[in-house]
Amino acid sequence: MRRAHAILALFGAAALALSPARAEDLVSVLSKDLIEIRSNFTGTDIVLFGAIESPDPFASAEGRDIVVAIRGPDAPATVRRKARIAGVWINRDSVTFDRLPGFYFVAATRPLGDIASPLILQRFELGLANLAARPLADTEDSAAAAEFLGAAIRQKREEGLYEETTSGIEFSSHSVFRARVPLPATVPPGSYTADVYLFRDGTVISAQSTPLYVDKSGMERRLYNLAHREPLFYGIGAVLMALLLGWMSSILFRQS
Amino acid sequence: MEIYLPIAEISVNWAMILGVGAAVGFLSGMFGVGGGFLMTPILIFYGIPPGIAVATQASHITASSLSGALAHWRRDHVDTKMGWMLVGGGLVGAGLGVYAFAALREIGQIELVIAASYVIMLGSIGAMMLNESLNTLRSGAPGGRRKPGQHNWIHGLPLKMRFRRSKLYISVVPPLVLGVVGGLLAAVLGVGGAFVLVPAMIYLLRMPTNIVVGTSQFQILFVTAATTVLHALGNQSVDIILALLLILGGVVGVQFGVRAGARLRGEQIRLLLALLVLAVALRLLYGLIATPADLYSLVTGLP
Repeated sequence: MRRAHAILALFGAAALALSPARAEDLVSVLSKDLIEIRSNFTGTDIVLFGAIESPDPFASAEGRDIVVAIRGPDAPATVRRKARIAGVWINRDSVTFDRLPGFYFVAATRPLGDIASPLILQRFELGLANLAARPLADTEDSAAAAEFLGAAIRQKREEGLYEETTSGIEFSSHSVFRARVPLPATVPPGSYTADVYLFRDGTVISAQSTPLYVDKSGMERRLYNLAHREPLFYGIGAVLMALLLGWMSSILFRQS
Repeated sequence: MEIYLPIAEISVNWAMILGVGAAVGFLSGMFGVGGGFLMTPILIFYGIPPGIAVATQASHITASSLSGALAHWRRDHVDTKMGWMLVGGGLVGAGLGVYAFAALREIGQIELVIAASYVIMLGSIGAMMLNESLNTLRSGAPGGRRKPGQHNWIHGLPLKMRFRRSKLYISVVPPLVLGVVGGLLAAVLGVGGAFVLVPAMIYLLRMPTNIVVGTSQFQILFVTAATTVLHALGNQSVDIILALLLILGGVVGVQFGVRAGARLRGEQIRLLLALLVLAVALRLLYGLIATPADLYSLVTGLP
């Protein structure tokens, strides 16, 4: 929500402050806005297509940058650290963060630090270093919290769930681009947003946000819903299935 | 070859899971054990979250204990009255276990408790079995049998009841307590608990050996079924697709295992089983004391 407000505020500011000659605008579309997880799901790619609409067709590409960020679903997350106690490795310290995206992918035309100031990157939460996760307990010392957050981000990167890249955006002409976003098999179900930002000389002059959903579908979805909405029924069903298979096997193999 | 598990929310290789089910089924058929003590650690090593491994394993044991319980029932090798006492205790234990499991998971210690319990139980049982089978092999005679009718502290307890099938007149407290232990093992560790129940029934309750296995299967059947339902209710952690794959692999593996086991002598089987149990215990012990590759772990959701 905060990001959405920031975008709206910027739109307002841009409309007031910018001269007509610089009123470049951005349109983007996703190849898919619903990713269905079925039994054979092993990950997929989505492609974000974008175009920069400019009243001046010869506006320089110099100083112009595109940043694409796909993130979702935000949820609280707990990071634990093991310590050796009496020779055994045991989870000892932990930090719980208010919200951390399950998946985060950001692609930019140049390294983010070259595109905009840290303040702007922080405001839009662009880049792995700028994810705004706050520890839930007030008493946490901030250096330790940063260390735990760093470990969480490193693990997510190793799992292919977080990525920051400067090679994901391809321009097919002066003003048309596309970004390929790889979603691994472990991509968590939930609601996502695909945000595209047009930067010129370090400020956001246009932005667009598109919702995206990752959801289980077919039998996977029905089983998951049953397990959560009718857990008693689901549990009894699991037992009956086990009894049926056990009984069938005892009949089948008694003959031979 | 990949299949998405709807509750575990990960993709697994279904042929691999079938194979694991068959391999564990083979060993359990060969040694006449449930195999839960092998399956739960293997699933956790494979990357299935411990909560889902344990809860799903309960339904797998329900399937595999049914045919055993039926076979013993047909031969009248079940003391039903004793069985119901054990089941009664088992339901209490399973309820406590499911609650304890959720509490331990919240504070991030469930993996530790599972691994440490396995190391202690499998380590001591494996060492005892190894010792006994080595002695038997060396002397060439079966181990020392205790005389029937010998009394121990169990006979001093109140609330006595007659168990005709077992030819026992003992307090109901030990069977109930034993049942609670079995239920706890099923709910927290994803095992049937026969490796604790059977020796306790023989050496503590002094039940006749020929009805011990059937009665423990009877208890395990009901208690693991209840554990499955309780985990489904309390933690939504039973993955029915994973259970299906494990059961299908298991029922086939067991048949081959039983045939292979028939070719081995009892002492050899016990020696091999002791070595297997010790190997699992050592592997888990190594996991507890070796420096982990990553000290940090990430859990989504509130603790």
